[in-house]
Amino acid sequence: MLGMSRAGLAERWTLFVGALLSVALGVALVQSSLLLLISAATLDSSASQNGDAAVAMLGVVLGGAVFLAAFVISSTFAFTVDQRRRDLALLRLVGGSRRQVRRLLLGEAVLLGLAGAALGVPAGLPVMAVQAWLMRRFDFVPAGFAGEWRMWILGVSLGGGVLLAVAGVLVAARRAARVRPLDALRESGAAARVMTAGRWIAGLFFLAGALALIIVAPHGGPGGGQAMAMNVAMPAAVAIVAFAPLLVPAIARLMPFGGGVLGSLARANVRDARRRSASVAAPLIVLIALVVGNTGAGASFTAGGIDETARSTHADFVVEGAVPAAAVPGVAVVSTEISVPAEVTVGSGEDQETEAVTALVIDPRAYAAVHGTPVELSGRAVVRGPGGDVPSQGSVHLRLPGADLGELPVVAAVPETMSGGAGLLLPPGLVLEPQVAAAPVRSFVALAPGADPSAVRAGLARFGEVATVGDWLRADAELRNSTNDRVMLIVLGLGGLYALIGVVNSIVIGAATRRREFAEARVTGLTRGQVVRVALLEAYAVTGAALLLGVVAAAAALLAALTTTAAVTGVATLDLPWPLFGAVAALTLTVTGATSLITSWSATRPPPVTLLAAHE
Amino acid sequence: MTTISAAVTLHGVSRVFGRGPAAVRAVDDVTLEFPRGGWTAVMGPSGSGKSTLLHCAAGLERVDTGRVLLGDTDLTAAGDAQLTTLRRTRIGFVFQSFNLIGALNAEQNVALPLRLAGRRPSRSEVRATLDAVGLADRARHKPRELSGGQQQRVAIARAMVTRPEVLFADEPTGALDSTAARTVLDLMRSMADAGQSIVMVTHDPGAAARADAVVFLRDGRVVDRLAGADARGVADRLAAWER
Ligand SMILES: Nc1ncnc2c1ncn2[C@@H]1O[C@H](COP(=O)(O)OP(=O)(O)OP(=O)(O)O)[C@@H](O)[C@H]1O
Ligand SMILES: [Mg+2]
Repeated sequence: MLGMSRAGLAERWTLFVGALLSVALGVALVQSSLLLLISAATLDSSASQNGDAAVAMLGVVLGGAVFLAAFVISSTFAFTVDQRRRDLALLRLVGGSRRQVRRLLLGEAVLLGLAGAALGVPAGLPVMAVQAWLMRRFDFVPAGFAGEWRMWILGVSLGGGVLLAVAGVLVAARRAARVRPLDALRESGAAARVMTAGRWIAGLFFLAGALALIIVAPHGGPGGGQAMAMNVAMPAAVAIVAFAPLLVPAIARLMPFGGGVLGSLARANVRDARRRSASVAAPLIVLIALVVGNTGAGASFTAGGIDETARSTHADFVVEGAVPAAAVPGVAVVSTEISVPAEVTVGSGEDQETEAVTALVIDPRAYAAVHGTPVELSGRAVVRGPGGDVPSQGSVHLRLPGADLGELPVVAAVPETMSGGAGLLLPPGLVLEPQVAAAPVRSFVALAPGADPSAVRAGLARFGEVATVGDWLRADAELRNSTNDRVMLIVLGLGGLYALIGVVNSIVIGAATRRREFAEARVTGLTRGQVVRVALLEAYAVTGAALLLGVVAAAAALLAALTTTAAVTGVATLDLPWPLFGAVAALTLTVTGATSLITSWSATRPPPVTLLAAHE
Repeated sequence: MTTISAAVTLHGVSRVFGRGPAAVRAVDDVTLEFPRGGWTAVMGPSGSGKSTLLHCAAGLERVDTGRVLLGDTDLTAAGDAQLTTLRRTRIGFVFQSFNLIGALNAEQNVALPLRLAGRRPSRSEVRATLDAVGLADRARHKPRELSGGQQQRVAIARAMVTRPEVLFADEPTGALDSTAARTVLDLMRSMADAGQSIVMVTHDPGAAARADAVVFLRDGRVVDRLAGADARGVADRLAAWER
């Protein structure tokens, strides 16, 4: 059988190059993310303030990479197996058993997995360099950070490559082994059932998962709700992909094809080749769902948080410095807040947990007036801040730089907010001057009735930079959005590129097996240009359908964002980065269009007779 | 009327495609014997059910009613594993489109059924089979490097290499010019003379005349049977039934 495998590999090389590429790039991406995660986790934590953040982010990157690799590899392998239905039926016709068909496909998968991983390991090094550069560039890691090579990764990558390839082909091989020998006699293979039981089950399972997240997210609080909403797009996309053989042709048919014979031919092709349409659309749907869903949800949460802060802040100016009370005439209230990096330890013995939070030293009465939430603080008591992360009762052990404050009772909690903030609020008496001398101070200033804002502003200027609350919120929103964008770029950038390559892959594989169909169209009277135009129309229809379905999956995440912001802030908020969406749509349409042009042009290069004469 | 002398026996076989008003009775209650050691041709108008009948007889298509016996093995009761074994050992196929595996050369294509059966065929065994179809010198050529007639002879060699009880052929000369067709028919004639059972579907009265007997099919039913006629006689009878 291995001989067959080898001969098969040599003959249908476009199929196998596609499969190989999907494994190689998938392995490269996973390997790079894993090495970076290990490097960040073993980084001396004193060297970087946000080491934990980097590790958490790389965990998400790794999870995404594994998901995408499994997804792209399995859909590519399933597609290549599907494209060879006739070959496999022929094998059955001359006496091949189901087991032999399965073994043949699994044998190929092992070979391709090994070869792909062997290419993926070196390819992972430049990928890692790019990822590490992005992390350094956006200050998620210290300047000297770089991914470190581990010898054991060789085993993980090779084993992982084979595992992903075999897992990817397992279902397809079972399906292919059931091919009827008679299908070898039909030119295009019998119209195989496209919606298998497995697809229904997987589709419904992930649909249920997405729905569960949407339903639970509003009840998860600000932190949990955001995390859940950001995880809706993935299962929603997988559910839609499972139903893609039904959905994609149905929607693609509705795309404007233009009239005439070419349009109707393209429409018929899209409907007839359900599996091909679905395979091209699958990675696109996931790409669009993740990019649109997650950036849209992220931006909505930022906007929701900023709106919430705007509603709850009863101040006119924000001064980056300490403003003594009554120092400026016309000022009604000044809440001066000092941010101190703190370590909070909860529990004892085995269950002891230490967390780095920001502690805010406040004047309770002024804080309550400015932020619209009552705060009771006296003596050694502390209050949980709007950022959460700390228990709202009991006691915590608090350590500030250069001072151990010991066990402190947590007596109350202010409401958690969407945009987070300090974990603990401390009364002024608790902390000594030297401990906070270098700490950043911010003052919220409310005007007295009838005071002249510009005069007060001029008076405040000597204590630090002054901004109106509106300007301050806008700057904050901009900062948060740009951080969001950077995180998204790191988390989705290379993964998105990989998914896009998966799309190109499917188009190339699809076109390679259509040479005969193209040749038939040409001897029927179509010119080469017309054949290419039909293929292009099909590509656009399928891309259009995929964009639409990707947006539907993304809408699930956006719905979760809407309900979560409504539950947390009281106002349902949606903020969509339209320019990004437009750019992604334009990019995918360009890439699929160009790929389709190039592949159909090259598939129609040989004169049609040479293809039709060879009966194989 | 089942006798052990029949190579293949069909008993009340029907095959219906589709449902309701759109249903097509491709094979309609056919009872028929293909004699052992004989060459039977099946003729009839296009769409009369010839291919479907052949597929049912060979165990490639499931039947809706009736029974199909290969020798005394009931194909209608056989599972996939048993049918697979039968295809490796007792049944050979040749089709209009030659259905060779493009990745393999002639020799490898011929050896494939034996290798699927778990045997390591000797080169001389494979060469001898290719020699019998007159293609010993083309063993290393891939299908695309062979003419249509040569590809069909490779397909016959592949079907014959397992020494099957019955060779099923669906329009084996349908894609060939008259010279290539004659070579293939000569080959089949000599196989039949050596005792090979052959069931062949054809459109060509000249091809059917080379067989020992001709069965005529119309609308899925056997309507006539003719033995020892020449091409002229077969053509006349066919014309009568196509009218
Ligand atoms: N898989 C199928 N599904 C539906 N109908 C079918 C199928 N196969 C055959 N038929 C129908 O059964 C009838 C007989 O078909 P069959 O292929 O046996 O005819 P035939 O005699 O071999 O014709 P030809 O000489 O043109 O090859 C036809 O009406 C055909 O449309
Ligand atoms: Mg036929």
